[in-house]
Amino acid sequence: MHTPDRRESGVALRGRIGPRTRVISVAAEDLRVFQLTMASATSRPLEYLEGLPGTTFYKLYQQPSTALAIFRRMLPDLAKCFVMALLYQKDPLPTADLEIWVSSDSKKERDNAISILGRLHVLSTTLTGENVRAYMLTNPFAASLRQALMGAEDSQSFGLFSQAPEHLRISVADLDEYARRQWEGVMGYMVGTSAFSGQRDTVNLSKGVKQLLQAGHLVEIRGNRVDITKDGFGFVLQDVNTQVWHILILYVESAEAIGMDSVEVLSFLFLLSSLELGQSYDKTHLTPNQTRTLADLTDFGIVYQNDADSTRFYPTRLATTLTSDSSALSNPVTGSLTGPVGQTSGSGSGFIIIETNYRLYAYTSSPLQISLISLFTNLKYRFPNLVTGKITRQSVRRAIEMGITADQIISYLLSHAHPQLRKHSAAQPSNKGVPASILPPTVTDQIRLWQLERDRLRATAGFLFKDFTSLAEYQGPCQYAAEIGVLVWKSDRKRMFFVTRHEQVAMYLRNQKAGGK
Amino acid sequence: MNTVDASEHYELGATDLSPSLLTIVIDTNPHAWDILEDSLPLSKAIANILVFINAHLACNYANEIAVVASHTQKAAWLYPSQTPPASTDQDGDVSMSTETTPQPNKYRPFRIVEDQVTRNLKELMDSTTATHLHGNTSTMLAGALTLALSHINRRTIAWAEEHGGANPDDTTAEGTAPSNRYSASNEDEKLQSRILIVSVSGSSDSAHQYIPVMNSIFACQRLHIPIDVCKLSGDAVFLQQASDATKGIYMSLTEPRGLLQYLMMAFLPDQRSRRHLVLPTRVDVDFRAACFCHRRVVDVGFVCSICLSIFCEPPPENECLTCGTHLDVGDHNAKPALLPRRKKKKKKANGASGSGTPMSVSTPGS
Amino acid sequence: MADSDEEYVGDVTEDEDDLQVTRGDNPRAKKRKQRGGAEWELSRTWETLVEGADGTISSTVEGLLEANKRKRLLKDTTPLQRGIIRHLILIIDLSQSMSEKDVRPTRYLLTLRYAQEFVREFFEQNPISQLGVLGLRDGLALRVSDMSGNPTEHLTAIQALKTQDPKGLPSLQNGLEMARGALFHTPSHGTREVLIIFGSLLSSDPGDIHQTIGTLISDKVRVRVVGLAAQVAICRELCTKTNGGDETAYGVALNEQHFRELMMDVTTPPAAYSEKESASSLLMMGFPSRTVEATPSLCACHSNPSRGGYLCSRCNSKVCNLPAECPSCGLTLILSTHLARSYHHLFPLINWVEVPWRRASRSSACFACGISFPPVPPEDQWQVAESQTKGMSVSSRYECTACHSHFCIDCDLFAHEVVHNCPGCQSKSAE
Repeated sequence: MHTPDRRESGVALRGRIGPRTRVISVAAEDLRVFQLTMASATSRPLEYLEGLPGTTFYKLYQQPSTALAIFRRMLPDLAKCFVMALLYQKDPLPTADLEIWVSSDSKKERDNAISILGRLHVLSTTLTGENVRAYMLTNPFAASLRQALMGAEDSQSFGLFSQAPEHLRISVADLDEYARRQWEGVMGYMVGTSAFSGQRDTVNLSKGVKQLLQAGHLVEIRGNRVDITKDGFGFVLQDVNTQVWHILILYVESAEAIGMDSVEVLSFLFLLSSLELGQSYDKTHLTPNQTRTLADLTDFGIVYQNDADSTRFYPTRLATTLTSDSSALSNPVTGSLTGPVGQTSGSGSGFIIIETNYRLYAYTSSPLQISLISLFTNLKYRFPNLVTGKITRQSVRRAIEMGITADQIISYLLSHAHPQLRKHSAAQPSNKGVPASILPPTVTDQIRLWQLERDRLRATAGFLFKDFTSLAEYQGPCQYAAEIGVLVWKSDRKRMFFVTRHEQVAMYLRNQKAGGK
Repeated sequence: MNTVDASEHYELGATDLSPSLLTIVIDTNPHAWDILEDSLPLSKAIANILVFINAHLACNYANEIAVVASHTQKAAWLYPSQTPPASTDQDGDVSMSTETTPQPNKYRPFRIVEDQVTRNLKELMDSTTATHLHGNTSTMLAGALTLALSHINRRTIAWAEEHGGANPDDTTAEGTAPSNRYSASNEDEKLQSRILIVSVSGSSDSAHQYIPVMNSIFACQRLHIPIDVCKLSGDAVFLQQASDATKGIYMSLTEPRGLLQYLMMAFLPDQRSRRHLVLPTRVDVDFRAACFCHRRVVDVGFVCSICLSIFCEPPPENECLTCGTHLDVGDHNAKPALLPRRKKKKKKANGASGSGTPMSVSTPGS
Repeated sequence: MADSDEEYVGDVTEDEDDLQVTRGDNPRAKKRKQRGGAEWELSRTWETLVEGADGTISSTVEGLLEANKRKRLLKDTTPLQRGIIRHLILIIDLSQSMSEKDVRPTRYLLTLRYAQEFVREFFEQNPISQLGVLGLRDGLALRVSDMSGNPTEHLTAIQALKTQDPKGLPSLQNGLEMARGALFHTPSHGTREVLIIFGSLLSSDPGDIHQTIGTLISDKVRVRVVGLAAQVAICRELCTKTNGGDETAYGVALNEQHFRELMMDVTTPPAAYSEKESASSLLMMGFPSRTVEATPSLCACHSNPSRGGYLCSRCNSKVCNLPAECPSCGLTLILSTHLARSYHHLFPLINWVEVPWRRASRSSACFACGISFPPVPPEDQWQVAESQTKGMSVSSRYECTACHSHFCIDCDLFAHEVVHNCPGCQSKSAE
């Protein structure tokens, strides 16, 4: 069925297998976008890295900081345990031993961990002397990670402090403010709030930033107008950490296009992530490409430098928390990013209160946040530090028509939930071990239901069997398909059926044919 | 199509995984380390532990570490330093007030920990005089555990406040008793704390600490903090019970040289990962008690009903050695004296029915 | 927010019920001054607020919070002889009046829920004690669960009550008599206690309850009552007389939280009043070790096949759970950790004292957790600060009188409520 002649021979099987068919519905496009954005929200950096060739990994893992960053950010808990257990072991660990180590209920987690380790070229299998299959860590990675943990002789992997005397020291608060302003500027540019954020210091976005956003299909520029795309809507509703990664990966991809070595850029990014907030680092020993990267990242607020000729740079919180889990990061950065100007972080990141009657109160004066909220809410009142509104069927449907998914709305609400909401849910007794949800369940369920109103159809990839000459000929394979559980749809009248997998059914037909002869 | 179900929104919350706080209690008793000198000198052990600490910090950006030394005459903080007062910023990282030589070859958080641990340990060792050591072979385990618990408590409160978790005061106001605020309901959303004891001393020397050590163990049990024990030498009845009661890991190393590998393999996984792993546990735990009078290990003992002191034999003059109460030992013997009377009654009843039962059984057969 | 509209649901006075109280002098005349509720009615929290130097009240609010924390903590810490081996009968009112909804969801359901928590906490605190549960319904005393040391039996029995409805009138006398019967055979070295959760304002008894009280006193049974409605004279008399004149044994719940606190107070072992009340004695106990067998065998207690278990140190019968009484030889089997669990009741940690500014300069950070204390202000400002709320330390420092280390309020609470160790005393050698 994969080759044309095979498909022709389908006639010989007395029943033609149609080409790989996709049932596409009106809503299927939404669904695809949904899947795409969800995947990107969770593990976009991982996906990108997996796509890289093995040699790139070999080069990347030469740097201890890269090994550490990948270990910390990309691996699930269990995989980290495996890596650490193997790191100081001389001999490879037999696969059977590893299987014994993991409890039998957690096979799924184990396989997932091992597959990720394999895809990132961290773990490889070898044969030991007794011809037993065994796991071992790949070499540049293991050596670099050991170096990271124990300290290396001379690799300068973790950045050089700037030794030059500083006449003007930049405080952490300044850096946070800078990062917030720049990043909000980028967001504002995308959503188009720059028009009414005029009263506040507007950020001049460089051409590179705009091009990058356009190249990543987050915005479309039509003439003078900037239109946000569906991907862009998904993007702005994500938490900051995911957004930064998204941008960085776009950046790395575009770097290749303009002739920069992606390995160099990537390992520089990982180096940035291991730097210390509030410290200035020496720029003079950087390569020209790295200096160029640095300048580009300054526009996003990921690093700070006084001016392009300065000999030092400061990583901002956006950079230093790159390798943290989103939970660890959400507080300081989003707090400083979303809170009113001048308000220090630490007072909690959330500002949205949502009640079971779908009323929403957002304690913010940021035009960006207000315009984000207005994407899926009917705003009613606006006060100096508070906007209120109501989430309605109409407003959610409007958002969904724009390409925003229910899950994006919910995760946005969740990540910006007011501490009061969190406190309330933590105080609730957990229900059979499941912690009480932060947002009112009625609201989250209803938002999902409103989305489902549009998703009446579901796309299933599979194969259509048709053109059977007789009913008997049709019924046999159809019943067989139902028995093995691959049948999705059938029509006795049209003598067609649709299956998710065709191999066994084709085999059945072939056997039938052989038997018939 | 109808995929909206109530369970779905819970999963979203569960992805918010909290970091873990590892508190290491290092037994620095010089007497015991002296015995280990040939196989694993203290300096080497510390180097191994530091790598282990780095590995822990490497696992998660927000993971935290604390190190307490349990020395012969005092328990002291190694990291974070208490003197000068460690000013920690909101990430829990120690601020950069104590600047050392720039060293670009090491991840900064790792270096800060290493510097402080080695410096504080050196101070501790320098402050130890011969008089302290003379005739003192115990280790301040209870103090170290209490300090560790206080730190865990502080960090848990701070973490919950930062992340909008349950504020202890509000929970109590909403109807939960103060005792419950320490055992938060959902495990995944609070700071995951655990304690690792690297022990070298024998426990029999620290018998005077029995009650405080036990108090700390029960506190851990209540707070769901596992106590892992890595035993390098000596015996440790208390520690076995500690790890058993708190569902921690107890390992007695047969080969102390391989300390690092043991640490990395068995003690590194945090509570979340431990759910998936088969970890070494002891099945047979020594639960026998030591008597208060002769320190004999007994399996049947006498217990004062007032203060619950354990004696291996009735104390002289029937006076409790701990609380001084006059104890009625006769009561213990009097009980069997009462029994025959009751038994007689029972026997009568049993005898009557007993003679009846076989008959009733035999009748249907015949 | 859901919790913002929390309204006060306290003890609703049911005047029409008051009239039906069988024996008791005019309750309404006494109610005003006796009810615990009078306190909050008169406290005017807003009057204690003082504006700080910056014109805000935040400092006072923080002070109040801290004082509140501390109030919970300042208990009597004189090491008392306590009855560690306890025998307690929990009597739950299952009569009509329990269907009231003045506490959420109903008095009945809330009481059952708290009763389950009580059972768990009771065995947590008193691992070698015995408990039994009775109910009062339809004028009869109802046996819910027998005296035993196994919490799960009680929990399942209480759980089963949830499907039933409260019915009829309660009879205190019947309940007390049945409890007395259950406690009659308990050994003299343990305590004999009764805890009554009483939601009614009347008791319909078959005989003279005063006689029952008399026999309870002679049998050394101590009765504590937690009332859910208003104070009832007979309960008060019952508690006072059986507790040697101690009036604190009777409490009326103001709200859900107070109700729970009143119940949980009972989990702390009671102080032994005098030698004569409970004869102290030496008990023989076994400390078995855990074994794991290759093949499952039946345990002597429940006849369930199991591989793990504890072998009786005297007769080698296998029991599956500790603490237990060996089913074959009657030896009390216990883990030494069970005994140790009660030690903190016997050797409580002394209360720490507030530190005035005068002595505050000695420390800049909490000894245990390292949090920094507020710096010592210049001397002329000391007086201003001293006038703040009682119970809290002006300098936010609390000092252990034994080791003179300074601690913060959180560590103070933690040390007294959870660890029961002083971090300072334990970290320094006893010299």
